[in-house]
Amino acid sequence: MASEVSTFTTPIADAPLARRFSPAWRLALLAAGGLVGVLGLTLAVSWVMGVGSWGVNIPFVWGFDLTNYAWWIGIANGASLFAAILVLRRHSLRTAVNRFAEAVALSGAICAGLFPIIHLGRPWLFYWVFPYPATYEVWPQFRSTLTWDLWGILTHIIVLGLLWYVGLIPDFATMRDRARSSRRQRIYGILALGWRNSVRHWSYHQTAYRLVAVLVLPLLTMMQSIVALEFATTLVPDWHETRLPLHFVATGLAQGLAIVLLVAALLRWGLSLEQHIDDRDLDLLGKLVLASALVAGYLMLDEVAAAYLSEPSEWTATRNRITGEYAGYFLAALVFSVVVPQLLWFRAARVSVLAAAYVGVSVSLGVWFDRFSIVIGGAQRDYLPSMWRSYAPTLVETGLLVGTVGLFAALLLLFVRFVPAVSMFETRHDEHEDRA
Amino acid sequence: MTAPAHGVIARFDEPEALERAVRAAKAAGYTQLDAYSPFPLRDVEQEFGVRPSALTWIAVTTGFIGAAVQYAAQYGLNVVDYPLNVGGRPLHSWPTFIPATLIVAILWTGTATLLGMLLLLRLPCLHHPVFAVPGFERASEDRFFLVILVEDPRFDRHAAIELLAAVGGQDAREVPACD
Repeated sequence: MASEVSTFTTPIADAPLARRFSPAWRLALLAAGGLVGVLGLTLAVSWVMGVGSWGVNIPFVWGFDLTNYAWWIGIANGASLFAAILVLRRHSLRTAVNRFAEAVALSGAICAGLFPIIHLGRPWLFYWVFPYPATYEVWPQFRSTLTWDLWGILTHIIVLGLLWYVGLIPDFATMRDRARSSRRQRIYGILALGWRNSVRHWSYHQTAYRLVAVLVLPLLTMMQSIVALEFATTLVPDWHETRLPLHFVATGLAQGLAIVLLVAALLRWGLSLEQHIDDRDLDLLGKLVLASALVAGYLMLDEVAAAYLSEPSEWTATRNRITGEYAGYFLAALVFSVVVPQLLWFRAARVSVLAAAYVGVSVSLGVWFDRFSIVIGGAQRDYLPSMWRSYAPTLVETGLLVGTVGLFAALLLLFVRFVPAVSMFETRHDEHEDRA
Repeated sequence: MTAPAHGVIARFDEPEALERAVRAAKAAGYTQLDAYSPFPLRDVEQEFGVRPSALTWIAVTTGFIGAAVQYAAQYGLNVVDYPLNVGGRPLHSWPTFIPATLIVAILWTGTATLLGMLLLLRLPCLHHPVFAVPGFERASEDRFFLVILVEDPRFDRHAAIELLAAVGGQDAREVPACD
């Protein structure tokens, strides 16, 4: 028996059950799907021809690949920080945007997870980092940051998936009860795991949801630290510093908060959520972005000062990063992620949707430039002058970046198509509390 | 001889009505109750005395076990089974074993949260007697249900139906057990 009753949450449930979606959605999916096609093509080229199709060579062994990996991780972390805090603080905003933030985090982590696998060179052998006795009974080297990274990415994707799925179980049950066709009833029914809305079950469910949200918080700092330690444990002069994890965590936090500010501003503007995301929320988020941008600025100064006081080889490498061929990227990082957010000293800018969106995009871009500056600019002056070269991404590498943007968009579009985009049980709860 | 039953069910339109019915049923001496609601109801949870902290214990304990397993695996493989001397550094270099240990602890805790919840709630359970009750699909939208289970020592079909009807329950009826 499919329910035909009409309630407060019916529009949310009926959107994924609709037979067809608007032409705008289909057009957007077509565009995103085209970019996913680009991703598939560039992935195929990278797999068949090998990473020789990239511009990477000694000393630029990572190039675009790790730049984009670190950047996507930042986006995933920002969105999951937002989602976890909303769940834990039982913020009223949670109901409206939490599901969406979780989906953004999960999609970002999936895009990030692609890069380390492709750059292995022989990606089909990625399982060699698992601890299993391989051909010569050689065990993985657990002191290597690369094995930490395997656990890190795996855990990140699984825990974000859990946060998203645990919150969805009761809503899948609603979808099952409203679905008309037996095929959909079965699919949503299996996804709901037989959820029957028992009050006892709710109690455990809420505990589980909060537990998973708590887990996300330490995971964020660990992910950024592990990415940074991959750089720090190499002997490349500009990277071989203990300050690097702090740099990645702090600039990653600035990026994450900026993404949150951007999403909050876009949601408020696009979905008219003024009563959920009010001026005070934007004001507070703006102050947080400003504070984290100041920390990022301090760390960039610290980077220069620390290098100046280090060995000559390190100062040569860092000075080259700031003034050499890739100086523009360092400068862009400084301007976009530190100078532009200074706008937020003004209250008028903090409560303006346009300024919030502008700063959000700017900081996120700035952190991409910072990662590029570290990954490429930092590797240009290695110990051997015979290795002093330049790097530029090839079409294949650029295609991978553009392709993951498409994949990210496609995942979000499919998410709004098949899954309730707003948490229905939380909406019912809020409605009940408003009446009480 | 009557057919085996799961219990007796009644429908309520408001959460407050369900809460009143739960209190009335408890006052009448019933102990084996179950309630259904489209969203978490803290008051009814307290009436039932649900203690979800068991789930926290399962998750945290599993996390510690995961941490121990990961640390032991790293120690066993890199110190005992396949010692690799890199520049004379100590084989048991514990700081380098910490990051993966913490990450895997989080992985095990998270996975144990979902699996522990399913285990404690006996899910997945795609087939359940209450699903056969007409109109029960609205429990996931806007209706509230109370069940007096047949396991209750004081269970009597007619008395239970009368009680539920008396406290404002609609369509009070018996729920047949699954075959």
